[in-house]
Amino acid sequence: MNRLLLLTLFGMLPFSLLAQLERSLANPNPPVELIFHAPRHINLLTVEPLSKKSMHFAIMHTFGTLDGGIQNLFGLDNGANIQFSFEFALSDKFSLAASRSSTDKVYNVFGRYHIFQQTQNGSKPFSLSVAGGGGVNTSKYDFLPEPSPNFSERMSYFGQIMLARKFSPKISFQLTPMMAYFTDPRPIYQIEGTENLYVALGFSGKLKVTDRSSLTLQFIPNLNTDLRNNFGIGWDVEAGGHVFQMYFVTSQALNEQYLLAGGNGTIGDEFRLGFNVNRIFATGKKKK
Amino acid sequence: MKRLLLFLYFITTVGQAQTYLTETGNVNFLSKAALNEFNGVSDQLQGLIDLDQNLLDFYLDLNTLKTGIGLRDKHMRDNYLETEEFPFAEFTGKMNSVPMLSIGSKSPVTAIGTFKIHGVEREIEVKGTVNKNAKGELELEAEFDLLLSDFSIPIPKLVFYELAENQKVTIKATLTPKMK
Repeated sequence: MNRLLLLTLFGMLPFSLLAQLERSLANPNPPVELIFHAPRHINLLTVEPLSKKSMHFAIMHTFGTLDGGIQNLFGLDNGANIQFSFEFALSDKFSLAASRSSTDKVYNVFGRYHIFQQTQNGSKPFSLSVAGGGGVNTSKYDFLPEPSPNFSERMSYFGQIMLARKFSPKISFQLTPMMAYFTDPRPIYQIEGTENLYVALGFSGKLKVTDRSSLTLQFIPNLNTDLRNNFGIGWDVEAGGHVFQMYFVTSQALNEQYLLAGGNGTIGDEFRLGFNVNRIFATGKKKK
Repeated sequence: MKRLLLFLYFITTVGQAQTYLTETGNVNFLSKAALNEFNGVSDQLQGLIDLDQNLLDFYLDLNTLKTGIGLRDKHMRDNYLETEEFPFAEFTGKMNSVPMLSIGSKSPVTAIGTFKIHGVEREIEVKGTVNKNAKGELELEAEFDLLLSDFSIPIPKLVFYELAENQKVTIKATLTPKMK
């Protein structure tokens, strides 16, 4: 009889346990988000994905060198290199982008694919993405005595792999092995190198200082040439739907190919001011 | 003795018939600030209504809330709700009085209980309606206001005009009787 009593009580047990619902996550192992504030970090692309059908619009500027002082308003008088960049996410992993930068009037087209994302439980210790594309220099070279370059001679390409990890809520780091290829690197182009191929290793760092702003770093040593290395230090601020990025860099280049082949200045005496505005738009069906 | 056990068993099973569950409740919050109005939606509200014990228990995985802009969702999770540390919004409480439910008529109910979000617990009172539909399911609708500062979610000055301090939360859920 006692056994029967126990059994019955045991049978009732699950119902009394049901008094409250057990809390469980919809996705038990969510990805680590906001490794960086935006899909760009100073000049380099990051592993930060866009959600499907959203568009990332970035306006980027770099000005003249600071050494002219107040006379040139710290380089702002010297004309800016401006890049407009639109990136559209076809899926949560893949996006296509087009950009135009004023240096040599280069139109760039590239794709970015996010292979996997770092997860909160560490099953994926880092995020891995790839990007690649090409661009065409559309400057007029009518003034040259020799015939101006044809379309294919104006082409340049880039490819890169992005490995990033958020080490703590405050510290994120990205390694970007990257390469650029110019089919015909003429001296008239606003690059400093003379090689076709440039290989470099990009480092990006983020140190979160307040809830919505971070100290940012970038260092892009060239590996196969003696071009000097791009170095940047800046400040990212999240403001509503915008991410503002202010920085000092040693290079005026803004697109990937020119970052590697361009004039990179010297740390210390040729810093210039740079400024990015990033905005993410939702496109597609509108919720009521 | 045997009869007593049978009786006990009967009671618990009957009690069960008065328990209603959902895993697909709809939650909607509306942020109406001077310069920007947006809402966030989730269809994964988990809920339980036990009419016998007069128990209400609801929770939402805040990671499932979507505002329509991916980056805004990330900022919401990372900077405001801090979902990695506090993944759930929870409400546990009871009804002021359990309404007599007849099929097809909406009864007003008032729920009193503990609401927890962002690691902060507060006693709140929520007004809503309950309706028993022809399938024997409970249709619940409720609405309440939530002040972000009550739950130590500060609004930075930079986004003061874009994010409202007062968030209007609307809940719609159909709860089905718990299966045997």
